[in-house]
Amino acid sequence: MSQIQIYFFRLLLFVFLQSFIFNQLEINATIHVMITPLYIFLLPFDRSVNSLMFISLLIGITVDATSNTFGLHTSSLLVFAYLRPVIFRVFSPRDGYDALKTPSIFDMGNRWFISTFSILLIGHHLWFFTLEAFSFNETLLILQKTLFSSFISFVVCVILQTIFIKRTA
Amino acid sequence: MQNLIAFIKRLRYFIVFVALQFFALSMYVSYMSAPKSSYFTTASFISGNLFEIRHAISQHFNLEENNQALQKENITLRKSSSLFLYNKTGVETKVNDSIYAQQYDYIPGTILNATTTKRNNFFTLDIGGIHGIKRGMGVFSSNGVVGIIHNVSDHFSVVKSVLTKNINIDVLISEVGVSGMLKWDGTNANIGSISGVSNDIAVPKGSKVITRGGSGIFPRGIDVGTIKKTETIEGEASWHIDVTFSQKYAALENVYVVKNLFLDEFKQIQNQ
Repeated sequence: MSQIQIYFFRLLLFVFLQSFIFNQLEINATIHVMITPLYIFLLPFDRSVNSLMFISLLIGITVDATSNTFGLHTSSLLVFAYLRPVIFRVFSPRDGYDALKTPSIFDMGNRWFISTFSILLIGHHLWFFTLEAFSFNETLLILQKTLFSSFISFVVCVILQTIFIKRTA
Repeated sequence: MQNLIAFIKRLRYFIVFVALQFFALSMYVSYMSAPKSSYFTTASFISGNLFEIRHAISQHFNLEENNQALQKENITLRKSSSLFLYNKTGVETKVNDSIYAQQYDYIPGTILNATTTKRNNFFTLDIGGIHGIKRGMGVFSSNGVVGIIHNVSDHFSVVKSVLTKNINIDVLISEVGVSGMLKWDGTNANIGSISGVSNDIAVPKGSKVITRGGSGIFPRGIDVGTIKKTETIEGEASWHIDVTFSQKYAALENVYVVKNLFLDEFKQIQNQ
């Protein structure tokens, strides 16, 4: 399969898993597992911000249409996509990124993945839950939700990579 | 000019980001308050049908519980009054009587998809515009109040459930006879709260809470729950009241949509 086909099928898989599995998982009020950020994260290093944002828009609208969030997923994925190059620049290796590699945990190593992905994921979740509550009275609940949900989401994202993502180099 | 172009070029990603973000947020705000279409909701054709497929698989999980609830309701209705004739054909019940005029029609529906742990929980129903569903109608189950219709397409509709911010259903504490507004704080799907009850009225624990029927959405007397506890709010003259919902929303399956036959008349007299 070509690269584009792989990314296309991965997109379908992630949207399906998010809409019909993880949005339906009702553990408790503080845990809402979101895996679509991982798809944006795993797109190749040389993608421009604009293309990342348009893919986020596509995924976001699809997930929103199946979970009655009316634009929350779109909005927070856009934030994730916009911040990805910024964080990547901060954590860039000494001699830049290897264009043949992908930003997965296998290619870039545990330390790099944990630091970049967790920062982006926490930002994404914080944006999502703040907009969802839309009130300062619930700050504590928002922080609780962000903390627990991003931890579980992170673990799920690592597990998903070990199942679906292959080492490239 | 050269400088301006250079400036815009430098900011081009940010401009695209702001434009898309504006699109997403305006969509969120408009759909939360007053949706004009059903494209980006589960009432839309594609996701409605997808959830119908999913429901075909998952409907059996709570079958026993739901059947028992319906059976119990049937028994109470059969016992209570001859006005409630047992209807074999389903759909809508009409009673012909010269003393009592029927004020409400009930349209039966099935919940295809429901969440209970999000901040705003919307339920998807398998009935829509062609069954006579309109935005703003009330929804209840055999155990209690469920929510208000938020968005309607031809074949599906979305219910803004009790488990939503700003649901504001007017309820009555039946033993005391005072009314308040039902709210939900977003943490526990079994517990809601009532605001607007003055704290010089004693509200006993365990009192029944029912709908007041003041806005023409619900008939009077549909169960909401029972009072769990009352607390004083510092600096305010009203109670903070916790209510245990009588309906467990996670296992909800069969609901009824309320169609108020006198709604036009009701609105007309209120606007005068």
